Amino acid sequence: MSTTIDITEETSAVAKGKAPLIATTTYSDGSKGNIKTKGAVAAAGYKKGIAIFDFLLRLGAIVAALAAAGTMGSSEQTLPFFTQFFQFRASYDDLPTFQFFVIAMSIVGGYLVLSLPFSIVLIIRPSAVAPKMLLVALDIVALTLNAAAGGAAAAVVYLAHNGNSSANWLAICQQFGDFCQKVSGAVVASFISAVALVFLVVLSGFALRRH
Amino acid sequence: MKGDAPVVLGEPKGYTAQKAGVKRGIAILDFILRLVGFIGTLSSAIMMATTNETLPFFTQFIRFRAEYNDLPTFTFFVVANAAVSAYFLLSLPLSIFNILRSSAKNSRIILIIFDTGMLALLTAGSSAGAAIVYLAHRGNTKANWLAICQQFNSFCERISGSLIGSYVGVTVFIVLILLSASALARR
Repeated sequence: MSTTIDITEETSAVAKGKAPLIATTTYSDGSKGNIKTKGAVAAAGYKKGIAIFDFLLRLGAIVAALAAAGTMGSSEQTLPFFTQFFQFRASYDDLPTFQFFVIAMSIVGGYLVLSLPFSIVLIIRPSAVAPKMLLVALDIVALTLNAAAGGAAAAVVYLAHNGNSSANWLAICQQFGDFCQKVSGAVVASFISAVALVFLVVLSGFALRRH
Repeated sequence: MKGDAPVVLGEPKGYTAQKAGVKRGIAILDFILRLVGFIGTLSSAIMMATTNETLPFFTQFIRFRAEYNDLPTFTFFVVANAAVSAYFLLSLPLSIFNILRSSAKNSRIILIIFDTGMLALLTAGSSAGAAIVYLAHRGNTKANWLAICQQFNSFCERISGSLIGSYVGVTVFIVLILLSASALARR
């Protein structure tokens, strides 16, 4: 006496009625395979190209974001003269906006580093949708954080360069030249990283369009 | 070859109709969010641009008056918010087109491109305004910048309140881009 158990190869998509109908063919030696048109192969190559470009852009954005955070974090200047009561020292943590800048750019840089494996997965398997949607969502959040940090720091750097006569705010760049240069350079680097993130989101949109 | 998608001949009929319905729902939500964003950014721009306060006392030489364009960052804030609200208005027709035609791809990718650019612009403008508002509230002892809010109370309240509308616009953009991307991802 023997029992046989029939296990049907039915995926959950078939059971839900969502499975697409796929064209198959039987080769002359009896094996079966899926038909792939030239268009499908070309689309896969196009998406692989986009994924490679995405990976390279991510590397560039990592460099820009970490450079911004590092430059701002190491911007400290002590003037060579001092009086009995004051020491003329400017550092990024004198201004809370710059503290926010350093933290935000470090978060963006860290996120970009952690997203590299997902980008590599997309190069290997260009038609995967779930990693791409996850990357799009997190890239948008990272872009917002990056643009916010850059915008806020740019406003304060502008004030430091020009001052404001109506509010009686003096331009501190007149005295702290090196500090000002480093801080301005950090803001420029954060704008480069923001532009890279914009391109990353748009690229993902193009890749999804060919889906 | 690994990673190639096979040729899809078709789908079960009910599923296709259901997907078109989901895409239409996404497009309607997109339209509503654009209206919300338009109202938010427009009100923010108007509120900031109409802010001025004149203190009731004056000396012989100085008149104590605060206006939004005394601070160039606020001018940038008003310009950015006005530009984004104009963009929201101009993108409403594309959004309506997406509602009518659920399988539109090119219009959605155009919307993604411009939405991302406008998101960056609006976030930069609103956070620059927020940085200056923070300085106006707290000042900075190390840089010898006095907190002007101590004297100009209603000016300060108005500029702080006008930040809210622009942050509503930022949130709307984030959700919009996600919606457009997920609508594109559904075949």
